[in-house]
Amino acid sequence: MVTRSANKWTESARSKNEKKRTHEEPSPEDVVELDSSEEEFELDGLIDEGSDDDREEEDSEHQQEPEENDKEDTGLEADEESELESDSDAELNRMLAQEEGDDESSESDAPSEPQEETTSLTDKVKNIKIRSYSEGSSSIRETTYSDGKLRLIRPEIDPKYESDDSEKEEFNTVGNIPLSAYEEFPHIGYDINGKRIMRPAKGSALEQLLESIDLPAGWTGLLDRNTGGVKNLTQDELELIRRIQSNELTDETLNPYEDTVEWFSSKVEVMPLSGKPEPKRRFVPSQQEQVKILKLVTAIREGRIVHPDKVKEEKFEDPVYDLWQDAEDNTVDQENNWRAPKLAPPTHEESYNPPEEYLLTEKERKEWEETDPSERRLQLLPQKFTALRKVPGYANNIKEIFERSLDLYLAPRVKQAKLNIDPDSLIPELPSPKDLRPFPIRCSTIYEGHSGRIRALSVHPSGFWLATGADDGTVRVWEVLSGREVFKTTIITDSHKGEDFIECIAWNPAENSGILAIAAGEHVYLIVPPIFGFDIENTGKSKIEHGFGYAKHGNIRKAAKGPSNESDDEDTTEAITKQHTSWFKPTPEQADRGISLVVSMKKVSVIKKISWHRKGDYFVTSSPNAGKTSVLVHQLSRHISQAPFNKSRGVIMDAKFHPFKPQLFVVSQRYIRIYDLQKQVLVKKLVSQARWLASIDIHPRGDNVITASYDKRVLWHDLDLSSEPYKTMRYHQKAVRAVAFHKGGLPLFGSASDDGTVHIFHGTVYDDLMSNPLLVPLKKLTGHRVIQSLGVLNMEWHPREAWVFTSGADGTARLWTT
Amino acid sequence: MGGTVTRKYKSGSAVDFITRANAIKKLQVSLADFRRLCIFKGIYPREPKNTRQANKGSSAPTTFYYTKEIEYLMHDPILRKFREQKTFAKKLKRLLGRGDLDDAKRLESRRPRYKLDHVIRERYPTFMDSLRDLDDALNMLFLFSNMPANDKVGSNVTKQAEKLCNQWLAYLAKERLVRKVFVSIKGVYYSAIVKGQEIRWLVPFKFPQNIPTEVDLKIMLTFLEFYSTLLTFVLYKLYTDSNLVYPPNIDPTTLKTVGGISTYVLDQKDGAQSLVGDLKDTKQEGTQLSKDELSKALAADNQAEEIDAQEDVEEEKVEEASLDKFEDINKNSGDKLEQPLEFNNATSNLFQNFIFFVGREVPLDILEFLIVSCGGKIVSEVALDVVGASNYDLSKITHQISDRPKISKKVQGRIYIQPQWVFDSINKATLLNESDYAPGETLPPHLSPWGDSGSYDPEGPVAEDDLSSEEEDEEEEVEEGSEEDEDLVAQNELELEAAGKYTDAGKESKKEKEKKEKNTKKKIANEEKEQEEMKKFLISNRKRKVYENIKDEADREEKRQKDLKRKKIQLQKSKNQPKKGDS
Repeated sequence: MVTRSANKWTESARSKNEKKRTHEEPSPEDVVELDSSEEEFELDGLIDEGSDDDREEEDSEHQQEPEENDKEDTGLEADEESELESDSDAELNRMLAQEEGDDESSESDAPSEPQEETTSLTDKVKNIKIRSYSEGSSSIRETTYSDGKLRLIRPEIDPKYESDDSEKEEFNTVGNIPLSAYEEFPHIGYDINGKRIMRPAKGSALEQLLESIDLPAGWTGLLDRNTGGVKNLTQDELELIRRIQSNELTDETLNPYEDTVEWFSSKVEVMPLSGKPEPKRRFVPSQQEQVKILKLVTAIREGRIVHPDKVKEEKFEDPVYDLWQDAEDNTVDQENNWRAPKLAPPTHEESYNPPEEYLLTEKERKEWEETDPSERRLQLLPQKFTALRKVPGYANNIKEIFERSLDLYLAPRVKQAKLNIDPDSLIPELPSPKDLRPFPIRCSTIYEGHSGRIRALSVHPSGFWLATGADDGTVRVWEVLSGREVFKTTIITDSHKGEDFIECIAWNPAENSGILAIAAGEHVYLIVPPIFGFDIENTGKSKIEHGFGYAKHGNIRKAAKGPSNESDDEDTTEAITKQHTSWFKPTPEQADRGISLVVSMKKVSVIKKISWHRKGDYFVTSSPNAGKTSVLVHQLSRHISQAPFNKSRGVIMDAKFHPFKPQLFVVSQRYIRIYDLQKQVLVKKLVSQARWLASIDIHPRGDNVITASYDKRVLWHDLDLSSEPYKTMRYHQKAVRAVAFHKGGLPLFGSASDDGTVHIFHGTVYDDLMSNPLLVPLKKLTGHRVIQSLGVLNMEWHPREAWVFTSGADGTARLWTT
Repeated sequence: MGGTVTRKYKSGSAVDFITRANAIKKLQVSLADFRRLCIFKGIYPREPKNTRQANKGSSAPTTFYYTKEIEYLMHDPILRKFREQKTFAKKLKRLLGRGDLDDAKRLESRRPRYKLDHVIRERYPTFMDSLRDLDDALNMLFLFSNMPANDKVGSNVTKQAEKLCNQWLAYLAKERLVRKVFVSIKGVYYSAIVKGQEIRWLVPFKFPQNIPTEVDLKIMLTFLEFYSTLLTFVLYKLYTDSNLVYPPNIDPTTLKTVGGISTYVLDQKDGAQSLVGDLKDTKQEGTQLSKDELSKALAADNQAEEIDAQEDVEEEKVEEASLDKFEDINKNSGDKLEQPLEFNNATSNLFQNFIFFVGREVPLDILEFLIVSCGGKIVSEVALDVVGASNYDLSKITHQISDRPKISKKVQGRIYIQPQWVFDSINKATLLNESDYAPGETLPPHLSPWGDSGSYDPEGPVAEDDLSSEEEDEEEEVEEGSEEDEDLVAQNELELEAAGKYTDAGKESKKEKEKKEKNTKKKIANEEKEQEEMKKFLISNRKRKVYENIKDEADREEKRQKDLKRKKIQLQKSKNQPKKGDS
């Protein structure tokens, strides 16, 4: 610390020195050489002109060097100095002569005196004087040229480039001439001064021989080109060659791995590098540092700086404090943020020692094991241990808690209203069926005789006779009360059996006519069963036959204007009527079977439904697949058939007249259309949610309609409400075949289905428009057998009593009475 | 012309809900971080009313969150910390890869840590809210407190969990808040009422647990992290509310010997002795002294910086001195009067004057907690083994809890019971008859205090009527099977009558009458049933389904009850029969 500045200075100086030394290793020798040749001297001077001080410093450095323990150097210098003392002109010349053989001397020649050096320095200022001064002492000889001028003969220059061999080459100046050219002469060439170089004397042959015998050290056998003598190598030269060959440094004294000198070490030198006194600041405490320290102290006191060990401890434990200090007690839960429900409490089954009845029996355990874990009602198998010490660990604890945590963060939460309702409150309060009597309860009569499915069924308006038509091709008329068969006729003869079936039969609503319309295949047969007595039979037959005369007399045009007022264009109506049907008198064979009239469709299409107008003159037939002629209105008195629609309305399943209005209800598979026949407009279109309606019945008051559908539904339409059904009831297990209102003033209706049951309902319709119809299920009538998945095929109410007639696929018709 | 242009999916549930993938994209976090965030913040998926609308027309199954909630998440400090952690991890990895361990260490000391207290405050605005959700937290913590530490679950995690659990138990025991206990196959359920809130939790039996492979421990640990912070805050509040020092001091001697809650010394802030102090009263003074000395010595060993420690001690002394005054006042005003008021409950004072000796084979952690929280005192055989029997005054012991089939040396004056006596007594809140629970005796069934899953009462009497009615039912079933044959029988009878062979007319007529009565009854019942069914025709489909579900549930329950009753009767019969045979 003390000698810093001084050291700095020396350092720079030293680095300069070292540079120089590396450039020209033996610096003192150098100076001497420069001194000896003028041109070069001048050169040197030019370079050094601006740096006199440096040179001085260099000198001082030279003086210092021995101080700094460079022993080798000093040794060298000492040698050189001693040699310098004996230096003189004569010696120099001698040495020049000896040059080739004496290497050491050439080396020792190099060093010059420090004296001369000083002269060379002053020489820069005054050149000539020095020359003159040096004339005496130096080896320059003065001679005269031939013209008498002064000629200075300068001493031989020996530049002593250690690595250079130019001096030897220039010794003989003859150039590149073979030595043989001088064979005749005593000399072998000329030196730089033009002097002859004399051939060295050759010994006698004996001497040569002797020489050849004991070769001197360093003998090469070569002839020195310059001297003409034997070229021998000195020991040093040999050593040098060896060193070069072995890739060693040429200079033995040079140590490439010199120890570094620790000039600036931790050791405090006794002698400072510089003599500066210690500055004051070294002894006064630093104010800057004090400020810094104060800052740190305050930081530590305030706790901003914590010891790293303590920091670690603190980090692991976050500070605990009263988190809810300023919490309000009654904050409301955020909307839509629902707490997770708590886990259900454990029950007796989980106990380590449950009551024994909770343990599963063998069978239950098997069942439990077979069911999927997600479907088990009991989540774990109840087990009983007689003592607490016997209870093992439970394997699923982690899994259960994991599942719970999954539920907590993965399961969407939905608020589900817990059904706390009394299930009975869901069922409407209905009057007891007991209070709604009478309604059919039991089967009182079974009409047996048919051998096929009874598809068709009709009750005579008088209520005494029941007509049935079955797949065996017969139509039978039964006495209602006794169940006796009073009339039987075969409608479908054996030739047609299997192709046509009796689809529908319907009594003429006029009580005094006794006409029964039968739909079979594409024909409608009208018969008057001979059971009523002559009067009725006669009126019936006359009614049927009355139309023949009418048709014959060509009154068809008038007929076209009939109750339906079909169209203005008479020709078209004529054409239509002629196209659609033809009314035949029965063949004698048919007449024998009791058939009075045959109406046959022109288009081959099965007639499925027949329905009479309330007055008994018109009847409507529907045949599903007949396109625009699928609905036909027939007039009995005139033997005319009309097609009210000029375009197909889909598959027409049923058509019925309004009980008292000139309206026609047409049922397609999905819709119920109500047409006004007088105005010829569509009054209403009812939408059913069913896919396949089957049949319809109209309440006697005309503002309510029930329809049966093959897709198990019974639909109640209130025409005053909307086009959608007021009630859709699904209580049948299979297709519903027929529905029927009681027409005789009792608020009853029923439905018959393929599941073999007939359901009886109470259905009150109020005059008050505000109150909806009251529907009460009353009774499920079972008795018909289901054969080939067909059950009850048709049903009809008794005209007055609360009795219902049903016919089924089991070949029976039944009467159900109260 | 005016009027806003409404575009599809620009309002309504398409905006209110966000799918999980979109939420992650919005928050710019990884799925794992999102999961953690949801767990911490208590955000759960929602079920939009119209999923198609919410998912912008797609009907692919997705989970939805409230968009608002996700937007709130964006500003949460935890999210920022997550991001910092991510960059931190990168830096640390780089340093480790380079092998700069020193730098890595330095960096590690600056690892970004997040705090959860604001989240807890947010999720539970009031203290009661936090108590309400404590069940799951306790379940999880007790599970982990019993788990062995491994490479996935660090030992510090399990230790922390154990510490919190014990602090919780110690508090409950001190305040005597335990109301119900139920030993199930899964573990022990406890129920305590804290500040009027019933908290129920499960403590698994102390057996080593295997972690199933399907369990994602990362999720569990995230939950655990949240729950443990929640519980620390709750405990702090509870302790400070009841004037106790939190965290409670640990008695190092018991920690080394017995462990469990007895190691926790609940110091009141006034300086009064508490829970474990009470326990120690049973022991002799000499042991206490020695223990104190021991603890002091241990403390001295542990504390490296002696000076600091001394300072601390001095400070504490100062505090005590200042608090002593309070104590004096309290003593005068009636600390004793407070006591009975404090534990007004029957269960809290159930074992008030009892000292239990707990055998080595009995799980000490369960019984110690229960007995202490019901006012009793406990001497465990384990502690005797460690400390030495001479240190305890064994003459005052009233009950000995043992779970051995036979006890060879019975000490006079002690009542020997099985552990279940404690559980059942607590649940019934009365002292049950000890003789039923004597060692070697078959124990009465241990019932859940939360009752049956249905409405069956296993303790209720099974009357003979029930039995008979059931039998009748069975008979009826049989009869129904033979109903069709009845007509045949009747016809046969008629034929017989016609033939004049009708002899047992009187007897049979009686039978017939009975049968007829039954038949008429049945018919009436059937009719009623039919009418009920027919009424259902008129209600709408949805309502009918609801009705049927309710009815089904009721039927199932009824069936279950009947089955259980039948089993019970059978069991009783089978038990009685061999006895009859013996006599």
